[in-house]
Amino acid sequence: MSLPAALLHYLCHFVVAVISVVSFGISFHVPRRHYLACGLTGAVGWIVYLLCLNLLQCSAPVSVLVATLPLTALARAFAIRHKAPLTVFLLSGIFPLVPGAGIYNTAYYFLQDDRALFANAGVETLKIALMLALGIALVCSVPLPQNHSTQK
Amino acid sequence: MDKVLFTRSLTLVLDAGQTLLENGSEVFRVQQTMEIMARSLGIEDFNVYVLTNGIFASARSPDSSESLTRHVPLVSIHLGRVEAVNELSRELAAGKLNLDEAEQRLQDARALPPAPPRVLRLAGAAGAACFGYLFGGGLAEALVAGIAGYLEVVVSQQLSAHKINRIFTIIVAAVVVTACAISMRLLLLPGLQVNFAIIGALMVLTPGVALTMGIRDILNADYLSGSIRLLDAVLVAGSIACGVAIAWLAARGLGVTV
Repeated sequence: MSLPAALLHYLCHFVVAVISVVSFGISFHVPRRHYLACGLTGAVGWIVYLLCLNLLQCSAPVSVLVATLPLTALARAFAIRHKAPLTVFLLSGIFPLVPGAGIYNTAYYFLQDDRALFANAGVETLKIALMLALGIALVCSVPLPQNHSTQK
Repeated sequence: MDKVLFTRSLTLVLDAGQTLLENGSEVFRVQQTMEIMARSLGIEDFNVYVLTNGIFASARSPDSSESLTRHVPLVSIHLGRVEAVNELSRELAAGKLNLDEAEQRLQDARALPPAPPRVLRLAGAAGAACFGYLFGGGLAEALVAGIAGYLEVVVSQQLSAHKINRIFTIIVAAVVVTACAISMRLLLLPGLQVNFAIIGALMVLTPGVALTMGIRDILNADYLSGSIRLLDAVLVAGSIACGVAIAWLAARGLGVTV
């Protein structure tokens, strides 16, 4: 892929990711003033994930871990700036990375009695979910400097 | 603290915790918020244990002691209410509210309306279409995922309005999504990659968030809460796959080869 085409490809993905995260934000009843922040959080995570997967040739779980770091950091920054709970941005923001398709595939292979594919999909799904949770826990345990404290 | 005031304060804290839990807040955050509120209201000896689907709390004052339990069987995510209760607890901690005002604010927070069903249907359709594209589909797949996602939300809303079992609702919704994608391919779009469209539309239902939050709970050493969420995720995933499999079997039975 040439450079302009690649840039366009990632730009498209960014815009679509923003729209998808905002849609899920609406389903989760996020207050209207947070829509843009949620969308940006989720889209940044998705683009970092894609870049790791395609350019750095990382595996999906590693890419998810790397993508969760800026995503959670951004969610925390928005949470402090908007004085809102972190969950608002985190829950909608991680939606594109969450292994929904993986869980579905695992269950589908189980029903089809395809044990090799079932085990593969299951392990991959668990790894991705574990990496997501780890990434979130990692960023959330970084202490905040005192003058940026949320307690106000 | 006199007895009536004590009971009112404790009830307020429990109600706030229940509101947080049933609208999708994390278990440890509910616990934290309840402890902060209890301290701000001057409740001493306050102990609380929060699970994914229940809250147990007890407190003692010099002349009375009380314990309250809440069962929270159903979680439907409403982050607006979570934010409102969060703000309430922050203002309470800052000493800006008295008990009456706090009770009023909690009532307002619980009365925050959900988005209208029409908006939810459109949001489901847009989200499904976007995921059809993000997972590698083209415009056709995104379009079909959008239509299937819309139908899926319609089915879920109709069935849950009649108080029909949640698992059954999910199975029916998955059947509808799959049937929609297969018939679109047969009738209108011969080159459609059915799987991208189906997975995009099913993202609305898949328990990815439940799985991730369950593992987060386990990392926080809330083993019981985490297990409840993981079990729920497995059950929901199983029913989705069940619905999809039923639709494919029916299609093959009717002689459709895709």
